[in-house]
Amino acid sequence: MTPIVTIRDLTKVYERGGVTVAALDHVSLDIEHGEFLALMGPSGSGKSTLLHVIAGIDRPDSGVCNVGGVPVPELSESELADWRNQNVGFVFQSFNLIPVLSAFENVELPLLLMNLNKAKRKQLVDTALELVGLADRAHHLPKQMSGGQDQRVAIARAIVTDPKLIVADEPTGNLDSHSADEVLQILATLSSKPIGKTVIMVTHDPRAAGFGTRTLYLEKGRLKE
Amino acid sequence: MSIGGFIIKNALRNKRRLLLSVLSAAASLFLLVTLMVVLRELTKPPSDGDSSLRVCVRNKVSLASTLPQRQRSEIEKVPGVVVCSPFVWFGGKFKEDEQLIFGTIACDPEKLPTLLQEMKIDPAEYEAFVKDRTACIVGIDALQSDKFKELGLNVGSRFTVMSGIYPCSLELKIVGTYKGTIDDRNIFFHHKYLDEAMGDWGLTGMWWIRIDSAASMGPVNTTIEAAFANSAHEVRAESERAFQMSFVSMWGGIKYLIGGISGAVLFTLVLVTASTMSMAIRERFRELGILKAIGYQRRELFAFILAESFGLSLLGAMLGAGGAWLLYTFADMKKATSGFFVSFEVTTQMLGIAALIACLLGVIASLAPAIAVSRMSVVKALKTLD
Ligand SMILES: Nc1ncnc2c1ncn2[C@@H]1O[C@H](COP(=O)(O)OP(=O)(O)OP(=O)(O)O)[C@@H](O)[C@H]1O
Ligand SMILES: [Mg+2]
Repeated sequence: MTPIVTIRDLTKVYERGGVTVAALDHVSLDIEHGEFLALMGPSGSGKSTLLHVIAGIDRPDSGVCNVGGVPVPELSESELADWRNQNVGFVFQSFNLIPVLSAFENVELPLLLMNLNKAKRKQLVDTALELVGLADRAHHLPKQMSGGQDQRVAIARAIVTDPKLIVADEPTGNLDSHSADEVLQILATLSSKPIGKTVIMVTHDPRAAGFGTRTLYLEKGRLKE
Repeated sequence: MSIGGFIIKNALRNKRRLLLSVLSAAASLFLLVTLMVVLRELTKPPSDGDSSLRVCVRNKVSLASTLPQRQRSEIEKVPGVVVCSPFVWFGGKFKEDEQLIFGTIACDPEKLPTLLQEMKIDPAEYEAFVKDRTACIVGIDALQSDKFKELGLNVGSRFTVMSGIYPCSLELKIVGTYKGTIDDRNIFFHHKYLDEAMGDWGLTGMWWIRIDSAASMGPVNTTIEAAFANSAHEVRAESERAFQMSFVSMWGGIKYLIGGISGAVLFTLVLVTASTMSMAIRERFRELGILKAIGYQRRELFAFILAESFGLSLLGAMLGAGGAWLLYTFADMKKATSGFFVSFEVTTQMLGIAALIACLLGVIASLAPAIAVSRMSVVKALKTLD
């Protein structure tokens, strides 16, 4: 089977006050279907940048980044938005739910862009919430739940459109170890059979990385396996 | 949840701010509609159909100059002239209250029904008016006014009217009322009576003429002006409407003033609404970034913002302009302004203008935030903290 993500010579350079910083320095990498990849490395090493390029919310200066056969950096803004909607689920460190919407409505958000009727949407949202163990919290607002529960709602939102790829940037960074374990357990479940999604997670926590199937280290924009 | 539901939930997230900005939009639009009404009231000429069939002839030198009564027979000979009556603005005052000046007009009672065909008067009362030199008829709105009630004046009463212009006072007897004219607040009495009181005056203030058709207006005016050209009393003949507009043009300055105030109100309104929208969007920047990440297009985010801003300003317009309409339609504005404004009408055109302003406001206020959002990079938005 061909890898879901193929990256070749990916480079992105920032200039700051005359000093150039290579956030990504000729990175080459393959990620297989169903992998749970942990990206580690010191602060400023380019982890988030790599994740953003793969997920199609940032553009590299040069190099190849194919996801599911699609040359992501070559898509237009508007094509990218559609592509992300159907192919990528996002989980961020924190504050990534809409505070005025209930858990159910937050999870429903990506579905509003698809041509689905209400019953179908409800079915998908219920399934996703079930999967993260929050079926009984559907009508709670984010502030009425714990940080761990909020993050699980975010995971439900990430998987509700059934994307092949889930990207998570320090999803446990703001959580206590118990909540973190719950979140990591869910991500591990999503990546293993029978679900088999590909999960790419940035983390600083070696214990969190331990939930993954492979760990990569970035330093100054370069990969060190 | 639908997209519409999402927009409403977003708009309602800061209820106090929403309320305040809707109220400020409402207050501004209320003020604007009020200014439009005032402007219209001040500048509209009475526009009953007959005013285009009436001619006012006055001394060319000035309104205050008089005309000799012998001109009348000449005017009556002009083709197209149906009737001609003297017309003197007496500037009546009660001796009990010299501050209040009311419309007191000396005319030829026999010509009045032809001149003012819209005037409705009881035939018996009219007959009494014509017969008695000292009789007068009073507009129904004047008779029902507080002043007349206070002085106990009614049909059958006698009262003394003094003049702010002529050196005489007259004892008048109210023999009837009339209604149906554009302004039922005047008092009509015999020009002959005034003539006598002035010691066989032989003059009049103006001539008041009815012509046979609107088409005669031009020729009649030219003929009359020509008839007295190069005499000691040259005249100016013009339609009643034009005559009234010459007073109205005194209000020109007020027109600019009101226009200026309206402009300032609008400008403030735009600033307030635009800053509300910018604030509302700025504090949601990260969320908008997340929406963009999960697949929302620029145009969709743009539509969210536009809808919110539109909703806000239309709600304001409904409250403000609608409130003005309700108030001015159902409150007695004639009484509230002590009779200064007879009708205080909010026209559909004004409501249309208010709605248009609200729409424009919605667009303008959403412009800056919408541009910011469409330029926003997801990565940058995610880095902003709430
Ligand atoms: N907008 C930017 N302008 C300039 N430099 C940037 C910008 N964004 C990132 N960088 C730089 O690129 C490098 C990689 O940043 P990135 O956010 O990918 O690091 P990271 O590994 O995710 O760090 P952290 O663990 O702190 O989140 C850093 O040196 C950073 O300073
Ligand atoms: Mg990072």
